[in-house]
Amino acid sequence: MKKSFRISNVHRHLMMHSLAALALLLVAVAADAADLPPLGHKMNPVSPPLAAPGFSLPDMDGERHALDDYRGKVVMLNFWATWCPPCRREMPSMQRLYEKFVDRGLVVVAVNQFEDPDLVFEFTGRLGPEPTFPILFDRESRVSEQYKVKGLPTTFLLDKQGRIHYRAIGGREFDHPEVEALIESLLDRD
Amino acid sequence: MRGLWPMLLLLSAGPVAADEATVGVSIDPETGIKSWKYTGDGLDIELVQVPPDFIRASYAARGLPKSVSEAVATRCVFGTIVRNVSDRPLSYRVADWRYMKGDGVELPIKTKTEWLREWHGMGVRFSWSILADDPTFAVGDWIQGFTTMPEPHGSRLSLKVVWSIEGEAYEKVFSDLECAPAPDDA
Repeated sequence: MKKSFRISNVHRHLMMHSLAALALLLVAVAADAADLPPLGHKMNPVSPPLAAPGFSLPDMDGERHALDDYRGKVVMLNFWATWCPPCRREMPSMQRLYEKFVDRGLVVVAVNQFEDPDLVFEFTGRLGPEPTFPILFDRESRVSEQYKVKGLPTTFLLDKQGRIHYRAIGGREFDHPEVEALIESLLDRD
Repeated sequence: MRGLWPMLLLLSAGPVAADEATVGVSIDPETGIKSWKYTGDGLDIELVQVPPDFIRASYAARGLPKSVSEAVATRCVFGTIVRNVSDRPLSYRVADWRYMKGDGVELPIKTKTEWLREWHGMGVRFSWSILADDPTFAVGDWIQGFTTMPEPHGSRLSLKVVWSIEGEAYEKVFSDLECAPAPDDA
């Protein structure tokens, strides 16, 4: 049952340059993914699909993104924060999924909670692979409240019409074949 | 802040000793932080001591006012990880949970809803860190957050956790939990 833990280079750097990035590591699993049990991959169906609440939020550059901007695309909507260990663990898998399906119409939108864009920029710059999908800022958690998010991370999968078909509470490995199959099925629908 | 980082490695479990048939107790060999883990009846739950200095530092790093951090840091706090390991939806309500001191009297847990009502009333829009109080988990869902009790650092208590799976109720009592010690005692 013994687990061995290491502090990753990312964590060392964040500790040195921004203690804030470490804040609220609730139960603080500050370990390399290799040391932890694998994340699951199950996304649970929302039946019947629900209309996703609309929103408009700024990205790191202050440019606003509305959910309506992505109508006609399949959207993976992820609520997260840098201090949330499973959020950090799952983000590289989201990027890999995004890279695989972006040309076919998948958009990943990561909605950060309560954090400063400078801090998030520093954090994401050290991820491998670095996220290239939009990261938006929900500083007062008003959008997460609309989606009734109970905890971080929480992820929704929306069809091209903006309806929520799947939900996952807690970290996941999103580039798993079963998640990819869900994406494929939504991409194939009008 | 010195010493904060090792304290964050809360789950670096050392040897696990079973103090009961189904509760595993772990002590981090570097920090001395204790955790308790139970898996049964579709639920996997882990309780981890959270030292008050960690709470103060981490809330301060989020820019939260001292009144917010002190209200939590002066309590007995356990980081709580809850996971649905059943094959059906699982629900719990923190309002149904109770903690007990030596006299055995059951006392309520302050819920996230109650904490947020206070924080939002103070103009603080921070909505995270406290354990969600009434979720329903689909298969494989999990969550984490603080469970807080207004008891002194270093005190001992028991915690009754209640959950349900499709209407069937379950409970587990964690006996002899130890709140994280005060910084001077650590």
